[in-house]
Amino acid sequence: MRRWLAWPGLVVVACALGVGPGVARAQSSIDLLAAGLRAYKNLEFDLAAGLLRREIARLGDTATADTAVAQALVYLGAAELFGGRRDSAIAAFRRLVVLDARYRPDALIFPPEVTTVFDAVRQDTKVTLVAVPRDTTIVPGAGSFTGRVVASSFHVVEVTLRYEDGALFRRLYNGPLADSLNVEWDGLDPVGQPPAVDGLLLRVASHGSGGQPVRILQLPLALRVTHGDTLAWPAAPTAAQLLPERAAPGPARRALMGGALLSAAVVGLPALVGGTETSSGPRIAVAGTVGLAGVLGYVLHRPGRPLGGNVRANQAVRDAWQRRVEAVKEENARLLANVRLAIRAGEPTILQARRP
Amino acid sequence: MRTTLLLLALAATAREVVAQTVHATAGGSVVSVRVRSRLPGTTRAWSGAAFGGEGSLGLGRVRLTANYSQGTLNPDGGTEPSRDVVEGSAMLSVRLLRGLRLAGGPRARTYVFAGGTQRWLFWELRARAEGMFIGSAVSGHAELWRAVSTDVNVLERLDHAQGGEAGMTVHLSRLVDARLAYRIDHAVLGGGSRVETVDGLVVGMGLARR
Repeated sequence: MRRWLAWPGLVVVACALGVGPGVARAQSSIDLLAAGLRAYKNLEFDLAAGLLRREIARLGDTATADTAVAQALVYLGAAELFGGRRDSAIAAFRRLVVLDARYRPDALIFPPEVTTVFDAVRQDTKVTLVAVPRDTTIVPGAGSFTGRVVASSFHVVEVTLRYEDGALFRRLYNGPLADSLNVEWDGLDPVGQPPAVDGLLLRVASHGSGGQPVRILQLPLALRVTHGDTLAWPAAPTAAQLLPERAAPGPARRALMGGALLSAAVVGLPALVGGTETSSGPRIAVAGTVGLAGVLGYVLHRPGRPLGGNVRANQAVRDAWQRRVEAVKEENARLLANVRLAIRAGEPTILQARRP
Repeated sequence: MRTTLLLLALAATAREVVAQTVHATAGGSVVSVRVRSRLPGTTRAWSGAAFGGEGSLGLGRVRLTANYSQGTLNPDGGTEPSRDVVEGSAMLSVRLLRGLRLAGGPRARTYVFAGGTQRWLFWELRARAEGMFIGSAVSGHAELWRAVSTDVNVLERLDHAQGGEAGMTVHLSRLVDARLAYRIDHAVLGGGSRVETVDGLVVGMGLARR
């Protein structure tokens, strides 16, 4: 009985040991941030700065806005400022602006000394942020893919779509940007066709006062063009389906040979049946007429003679085929026009970052 | 012999007769007849025109054909009186192959002259080949026959009789045909002492329901 009771106890201990480190790390994060904020509120700025710096280092550097990091950075900046380390405060605020260009310190929490310095840093830091939907499907030319570019402060930006090798694909915007801007792409390439590539880069270049790019934010866009299956062309009429348009030599030859044979039969008939004592007049008349008919038949059916009826019948077959082709062409045009472009945005990267 | 011919024709066509379309033809013709009779030491000849009609009924491979003609023949020189000629036949034929037909039946010819009547009755076996030779507009035919049994009221015994016809038919429309042919009969009697030859040019028009 004691052995049965011992097993649950072992499981509990094992679970505690197994899940302990993760929970402990989370607890540590909450504790560090909370301790830092508590120290800041208790005006222990050095302690607060130390705790927050540790917390920021622990959270790591990331290109995406993170609430915890942002909160830690703004309190770190304020703590450094009130601790008399203005440069460190500026560095913390700059890092915060780079992290989230939209961030603004809460004026109800932070005094004007802090917000003023932060605003100065923000004005001096030329960075942008791009917000795009993760997945978008548009009709090229009719719909548009929209991205929102947010600037930390007024500066000149150039928003472009580029091939994956960096070559320019389409320029979406080039000009000053004070706060934010919606950029749109109609899903077409420079010649007005759906893109023939399966990937592009959305690049936002922030330019300094001298016009030089100081920071480039790049977002990969995976593209997939879909459209309805087109119909196969109707098969052209084959030779077997068409009638000969020129007279073959057979009928003419048959007319000539038939006439000759029949004439010979008429002429030779008395000899064949033994009645040679006959007048040749009627025989010659019939044989001559038959022979003449054969020659006439040869002329009428002479080889190569155009067969008008067959030509017209074939033309009707070809016209019907042409009408089917036109119908398929129209249907295919309709199917091809029904193009969809699926766009999937990837994670942004900073290609080039220079301190402005 | 006559019964055998009839039975052969019926046996060959019994299965074909059922569920076939009836083909009927009717027509009239003018025959320019020349009769030449060679007897020992003399040859007599008559010529003239005979008018007649013919018709046929076909069912499958089988066809029954009948014709009748009559006319007056005048002597070619000499003092022979004119004579009338009347001829009729009824033939039952069967198509053996495409374009080849075998027929059999009686054919009777009668010469009527002032001194009496001369009757010739032949039971014939005929073979006829026919086919289009100018498109679908003109067909040709050649026919040979031989008498397998005869009954003639002349003094000489009939040794043999045979004949033939060759010509063409112009299909003027789906219904109307025109025919031109040359025909000849040749009969040898009395061991060759008497030879009768009848030939002529046939011009006819016909209606056909195909």
